Amino acid sequence: MRLSILLALLLSLASICGAEAAGPLPFERGSWAKLRASHAGQPTVIHFWGLTCGPCLVELPHWGKLQAERPDLRLVLIAADPLPQEQDRVSATLAGAGLANSESWSFTDRFYERLRYEIDPAWAGELPRTVMIDGDGKTAVLPGVADLAQVRAWLDAQAKPSR
Amino acid sequence: MRKLLLALAIVLLAGTAAAQHHGHQSAEAFTATPAFAPDGTLWLVRATANRIAVMKSTDLGRSFSAPVAVTPESANLDWGPDARPHIAVDPKGNLVVTFAIFQDQRFNGRAFVSRSTDNGASFSRPQPLTADTISQRFETAAIDPAGRVFAAWLDKRNVAPARAAGRPYPGAALAYAWSDDGASFGKTSIALDNTCECCRLGIAFAGPGRPAIAFRNIFEGSIRDHAVVTFNDATTPGPVRRVSVDDWKLEACPHHGPSLAIAPDGSYHVAWFTDGTARKGLFYARADSADSAFGPPRALSSPDRQPARPYVLADGRALHLVWKEFDGTKAQVRWQVSRDGGRGWSETRTVAETDDASDHPLLVAHAGRVYLSWLTKAQGYRLVPLEDQP
Repeated sequence: MRLSILLALLLSLASICGAEAAGPLPFERGSWAKLRASHAGQPTVIHFWGLTCGPCLVELPHWGKLQAERPDLRLVLIAADPLPQEQDRVSATLAGAGLANSESWSFTDRFYERLRYEIDPAWAGELPRTVMIDGDGKTAVLPGVADLAQVRAWLDAQAKPSR
Repeated sequence: MRKLLLALAIVLLAGTAAAQHHGHQSAEAFTATPAFAPDGTLWLVRATANRIAVMKSTDLGRSFSAPVAVTPESANLDWGPDARPHIAVDPKGNLVVTFAIFQDQRFNGRAFVSRSTDNGASFSRPQPLTADTISQRFETAAIDPAGRVFAAWLDKRNVAPARAAGRPYPGAALAYAWSDDGASFGKTSIALDNTCECCRLGIAFAGPGRPAIAFRNIFEGSIRDHAVVTFNDATTPGPVRRVSVDDWKLEACPHHGPSLAIAPDGSYHVAWFTDGTARKGLFYARADSADSAFGPPRALSSPDRQPARPYVLADGRALHLVWKEFDGTKAQVRWQVSRDGGRGWSETRTVAETDDASDHPLLVAHAGRVYLSWLTKAQGYRLVPLEDQP
C-alpha cells in the first residue's frame, strides 16, 4: 500500500519534471526556416510575444481561450524578448495562459539582429506581433495586440474548400 | 518492483537535471562604456552577468589593466537592452561610476553611484543615487563644463500617488540630481512627468550648469516621440522641445533611446529610432540653437537593414554619427561625419563589423580624435580611430 503511494508520487513528480524539461524549443539561427518547413502547406498562426512585454502578458490568455475554442487553430508561440529569458518562466507563463500544449519557441541566441532579419528584415522587434500564413505560404501580419475577430475570420476563410 | 522504483528514480533525476539545465538560460548584461581621462587614459566600465568592473588602457585600447570590482558582491544588474553603466572622469581625475540593478522581476530598478579617488585602484561601496526606493533606471552621469557631476534617470516615484488619486500615470518621470564631487548626490528633483520608461537618455551641456537631455517622451495619445529639455540654470528645466513628429503610437516601450550632441556653435544634434506612422527607421535632425525648432528629419538608412542604436558626438568643429545595421549576415557599424555643423554629411562608411551579438556602438573623443568604442561577442572590445578610415 505504502509502496503504491510512493510510486504514484514518484510518477507524478517525474511527469512534472518531464514537462518542465521539455520547455520551449530554442529559437536560433536557422530556426525560422525549420519552423516554416515543418508547417508548410498548413494554415498557421505565429504569435510573437515576450516576458519583457507588458501588453503581451495581458493578451496571452486571450490566445489560450481562442486555442481552446478553435481546434483548427494551428498556433505557434515564439518568445522574442530582446535578450534571452529564463526558459522555465517562458513555460510557466504559457501554462498560466492556457497555452501549455501549444508549440512554443524562445529566442536563445543573443544575435538578435540576425534572428529578426531571418523572420522579416523590416521587423524592428516590437511586440506583440502576429503572423498568419495560409496554405499557399501567403503571409498576413498583425502588428501589436491582435484583433482576434480578424484571426477568427482568417481561420474561417482557411476552412473553406480551396478555390 | 525494486527495478521499477530504480527506473522511476532515474527518470525523476534526469528530469530534474534537465529542468535545472534549462533554468541557466537567462538574460545577462553585456556592455562596455568608455571615458577618456584628461591624460589620455581610456577608462572602461564593463557590465558582465552579475558584476560591474572597471579597467583602463594607456595604449588606446590595445591592452587593458586587470579589472577592478565596483560591485562588492554579485548583483542582479539591469540587463535592459538600452541599460548600461556609465563612467565619468572629473577634472581632478576622480572616477564616477553609475549603474542600476533590478530589485524584482517587474523591472523596478535601483540606481547606484561609486567613486574612485585613487586612480581606479579601488572603488567606494556603491551608494543609492537617491533615497527613494520605488524604481530608478537608465541613470546617466556626466561632468558639466564647470566640473560638477550631473545625473539624470527615469524614476517611478510619482506613479503610485497619481494612481491613488485616480489619475492614470503612463511611463516614468525624468529625475535629476547634482553632486559637487560624485561622492553623493544632493536633492532629487523631477524635471518632467510621463516620459517613456525604458529608453536611454542622451545628455549634453549647453554651458556650465546647463544640461540638456534628449529622451523619448509620451505625448498626448500615447505617442512616443522624442524631445529635448535644456536647463535654464542648474535647477530650472526649460520647455519640452519636440524633435520630430513621427507619430509612433505605442502602449509598450521600444527599449530604444536617442543620442544628443551640442556643438561649440550651440547647435543641437539628435539621432533616434522610430517606427511611427509618419516615418520608420533611424533619423537625424539639427537645431540652430537651444531655442530654435529642429529641422526636418534625415533618414540614416533603410528600415529593412535594421538600423539601430545611433550615437552622435561633437568634437571641435566635427560631428560624428554612428549606428548599427544588419546586412543579412553581419552586424555593421556605419559612420558619417560632418564638417559644417551638421548641414552636410559624408558618405556612409562601414567602420567595424561582426557576425555575432554586439553591444551598442558608442563614440568617445580625446585630443582632437574620435574613436568608435564597441564590444562584440566574437571580437571582444575594440577602440577604432575614425579619422584613419579610408
